Amino acid sequence: MQPTPWAYTVASPLLFSLLIHPLSGQNLIHEINVDSPTMSSGRVMPRDYTPDGHNLSPPLTWSNLPTGTKELAVVCADFGAGSPPPWTHWLVYGIPATATGLPTGLPILPNTPMPTDLVGATQGLNGWNRPYYRGPAPPAGTPHLYHFTVYALDKTLGLTPGLTREELLEAIDGHVIGRGDIVPIYERF
Amino acid sequence: MADTKPQLISRRSLLRSAGAVGAAAAVGAKGSPAATASSHESQLTPTGEQTSDNKQPRYIFEQLTADEAELLEAIADQLIPEDDLGPGAVAAGAVTYIDRALGGALSESRDAYHSGLAAFDRYCRSSRDAPFLELSHIDQVSVLIDVETGAATGASTGFTGSSSSFFSMLRSHVLQGTFGDPFYGGNQNFVGWDLIRYPGVRTSVWPRLQTQLEAGELSPNHRSAYDSEYFEKAVVRTATKGTYHGD
Repeated sequence: MQPTPWAYTVASPLLFSLLIHPLSGQNLIHEINVDSPTMSSGRVMPRDYTPDGHNLSPPLTWSNLPTGTKELAVVCADFGAGSPPPWTHWLVYGIPATATGLPTGLPILPNTPMPTDLVGATQGLNGWNRPYYRGPAPPAGTPHLYHFTVYALDKTLGLTPGLTREELLEAIDGHVIGRGDIVPIYERF
Repeated sequence: MADTKPQLISRRSLLRSAGAVGAAAAVGAKGSPAATASSHESQLTPTGEQTSDNKQPRYIFEQLTADEAELLEAIADQLIPEDDLGPGAVAAGAVTYIDRALGGALSESRDAYHSGLAAFDRYCRSSRDAPFLELSHIDQVSVLIDVETGAATGASTGFTGSSSSFFSMLRSHVLQGTFGDPFYGGNQNFVGWDLIRYPGVRTSVWPRLQTQLEAGELSPNHRSAYDSEYFEKAVVRTATKGTYHGD
C-alpha cells in the first residue's frame, strides 16, 4: 500500500530526529517506558495542550527506570521546526527519582511552587525563551511530531533554573543511564 | 499582592524599558501651552459626568467602543498591574491615553486596534471558551503569552499578520500611557512617574537638587512638561489627515 503524503510529512521529521538525536551515539541505553493518560505516540494530542486550547503542559507517566537513577529530566522538542531544529517547547529537570510522572499544567506563573512530589524540579527555557511549557503551534496544514523525552540520570546534578535545551543536554551528557519518549502529533487547520 | 497576582512581564523589566519612555516624553518638546495635572484632567472630560463611587469625572471614549475599552483595560491591568510598588496601568489611565491618541497621533493604528481586539476576543472564546474578562487570572496570563509569542496566530483567530505584532503595538502604547507625559491623557496623577521615581521635568538644576537626586531625596514636582514655557506640544503629521498636535 502506498503511503499517503501525510505519512511522508510525518515520517520525514521523525527520521530526521532519529538521525540527529543528541544521544543517539551512546551505547545501548536503558529504555524507559513513557506514557500519558491522555496522549499516545502517533496520535493527535488534545488541543488543551496547545494554544488552540488552554495550553497546559500534558500529563506524563514513566516506569522501568534503570537501577541507580538519581534524578530525571524531561524535554519536549519539535525536530520539524526551529532554525536550526529542533524547536524546544518544554524543559523540566531536577525531577526527583521517586517521581512517577508529571501532572497536567505545571506552573507558568513566577513564584508558583512545583507539586510536592516534584520538589527540587525546575523548568528551563523553551524556544520562546520562557521558563514553562508552551504547546504546539505549527503552521496550518502541516502535522508536526512532538518528542516528550524522559532522561534518567546517574547523579543529582543540582542544575540551575533557566537552562536552554542545549545547556541541559550538555550538562547531563555522560550521566544519562536511561531514556524513553512518547511522540504525539499535532496539526492546525 | 505581587505574590498572588504575578505578572506577565516582570515589573522590573517593564520599568526598565519604561524609564526610557518617561525620559523621552520629558525632553521631547519645547515651547508651551501650560497644562497642570488638574487642568489636564478637565480636558479629558468634555461631558463632566461624575462616577458614582468617587468624584472623578468619567472619560467618554471616542475612538474605542465600550467593549473594546473594557477589554483593553483588562489587558493593560495584566501588563502593569497594581501591586505593592504602586498603582498600575489602569490607575494611570493608559487606555484613556490610547483612545485619545487613536484620534490623533496614533490614528493610523485605529484599524489595527479594532481588528486586533476583535481577533483577540475570538481567540479567547475559541481557545479558552470564554471572553477574556471571564477567564481566570492564570488563563488571562496564558492567553497573553500566546498572543505575545505569536502562538495565537492562525486561520481561526483572524489576527492580521502575527498576533505578536498586535501585542507589541499594544504593549508599547500601554507603556506610553502609563509613563508618558500626563498631558497626553495617561500617567494620571503622575502614578507612572512616581512608580519609576522620576522626579519630573526640570529646566534647571542647582547643585542642591543634584545632590538630592543622587541621594534619592528629590521630591517629584508633579508637573507636566507643558507646564513649562520651554516646552510645547509635539506636532505630528499623518499622511492622510494633515497636521495634528500631539493631543
